[in-house]
Amino acid sequence: MAEMTERTHTAPLSRLKRAAFLAVAILGIAGISAAAVAEASRYWDPVSKKWIVYNPKRVQEAATAQGGTPKRFRRTVVDFETAERPGTIIIDADQHFLYLVQPGFKAIRYGVGVGRDGFGWSGVVTIGRKAEWPTWTPPTDMIERDPKLVKYASGMPGGPENPLGARAMYLHYGGKDTLYRIHGTNEPWSIGLNVSSGCIRLNNEDIKDLYTRVGVGSKVIVLMSGAALYES
Amino acid sequence: MAKRRVFLAALAVMLAALATHGPARAADIVIGVPSWSSAEATAHVLGEIIHQKFGVSVAYKAGTNEEIFAAMDSGEMQVHPEVWLPNHRALMLDYVNGRKTVAMNRHGVPATQGMCTTAATAEKYHIASISDLADPEKVKIFDTDSNGKGEVWIGDKDWASTRIEKIRAKSYGYDATMTLLEGEETVAMAMIDVAAATGKPLVFYCYAPHHLFQLHDVKLLDEPAHDPTKWIVHTPSDDPDWLKNSSAPVAWDVSFLHIHYQKALEEAHPDVAKLLANVELDTDTISAMTYALVAERKDPAEFAGEWVADNAERIEGWLK
Repeated sequence: MAEMTERTHTAPLSRLKRAAFLAVAILGIAGISAAAVAEASRYWDPVSKKWIVYNPKRVQEAATAQGGTPKRFRRTVVDFETAERPGTIIIDADQHFLYLVQPGFKAIRYGVGVGRDGFGWSGVVTIGRKAEWPTWTPPTDMIERDPKLVKYASGMPGGPENPLGARAMYLHYGGKDTLYRIHGTNEPWSIGLNVSSGCIRLNNEDIKDLYTRVGVGSKVIVLMSGAALYES
Repeated sequence: MAKRRVFLAALAVMLAALATHGPARAADIVIGVPSWSSAEATAHVLGEIIHQKFGVSVAYKAGTNEEIFAAMDSGEMQVHPEVWLPNHRALMLDYVNGRKTVAMNRHGVPATQGMCTTAATAEKYHIASISDLADPEKVKIFDTDSNGKGEVWIGDKDWASTRIEKIRAKSYGYDATMTLLEGEETVAMAMIDVAAATGKPLVFYCYAPHHLFQLHDVKLLDEPAHDPTKWIVHTPSDDPDWLKNSSAPVAWDVSFLHIHYQKALEEAHPDVAKLLANVELDTDTISAMTYALVAERKDPAEFAGEWVADNAERIEGWLK
């Protein structure tokens, strides 16, 4: 297990927020607005274009029933016509998918969770570094908001409770760390939702799979749609 | 120079690996390779024909439009495979008509630009005309951030064409119904790939020849034909209120791509000069060549060799 101290934009979920996300997940709605995080008592349904009030009891049931990544966000191979080279990663925050381009106009498609704050960007970056079971260090402002995190001020060791999950890949631009990562999660049901603060989350099985398939220097394209359009 | 000059800068890094075989070496013919894929494809096909038919050595060297014209003037380069006119008319007038050190192939290949959508979007949502983009109800399908407005990519922020697309959006009225996105072409192309794979509605700026048209089924939106009297385009350098004072509620005028070559070749290698004067390509051919290099990732030299073999009769016609 690599022990590295990392600062990321990933925020642990409050119980209330998690309940809201589960409600959305069980209803099979992929594109919850990040505004739902702030609202907590209702969520935005991009299909009906309406705010929907969630039922706490149903949320509790959903949490029990869900238990993992929603079906439509599970890893699969899809047809994918592109001029990008095999090994390129394309992240579609809007539809919550990450594509790893394969030969023969195919791609491995992974479901992802994305964030709102700090994800107001798009562009071409590279994987500058990789780490197994990375240590997570909450940013200072996050500790100020949630004093319980102070015990992790010097780093939370990697492991099942760590929000970075089993693996992390560090996105660099122009040779410098952007502070954005593609990483795992200890909350697999959150795949398909906008809950972190700018990082791209895969469930731990998927991040391990992706980790073995891409190396340092791999090209990552983040599309300019959906969550990437939100102003931070 | 309009779009192509800034296009060079925007894509220089992305295409660096494809754009050249390395620094020019001592060779009879040095072909300039601008940093966009169709020019690269044409460069290698021309180089392969010249090498095969006349036995002269050919080298390739990356350069901007200005650099390649200057190099043809000084004799360091002999060929520019793809000059966009009238975009680069000033360079053509300077070196072809003025200094008379560069010659122009007269067979221009039509090049178009406008707004495109995926065929699936056009069919399912009846998006066929650029006027559809000004319909707030119709463009809701392009809304990915739930703000009630659609999103549309209008080009790289550094392209001259992007500035004109802003004028066109204002003139047609879809600047009020859609968010105009500027960004790297690499990102936009990936966005189209995803739209094609998922059926997600998408509308975007496009130009041809481009490998996009071989890779995906896309449709150019209908719009009123170009009318120079309605094409009132100011630049920030000539008018601080350029956007307010500009209007372009019509299609782009057709551009033409022309091969240019060093005039002195007519003395040094008259057979090569004759070929370069006679080559007659077309939009589909250039798009297909570009697709082979960019999407199918064929080695440029190998591809050119295959292309020459498959088009022997056509090439013979250029040599007469």
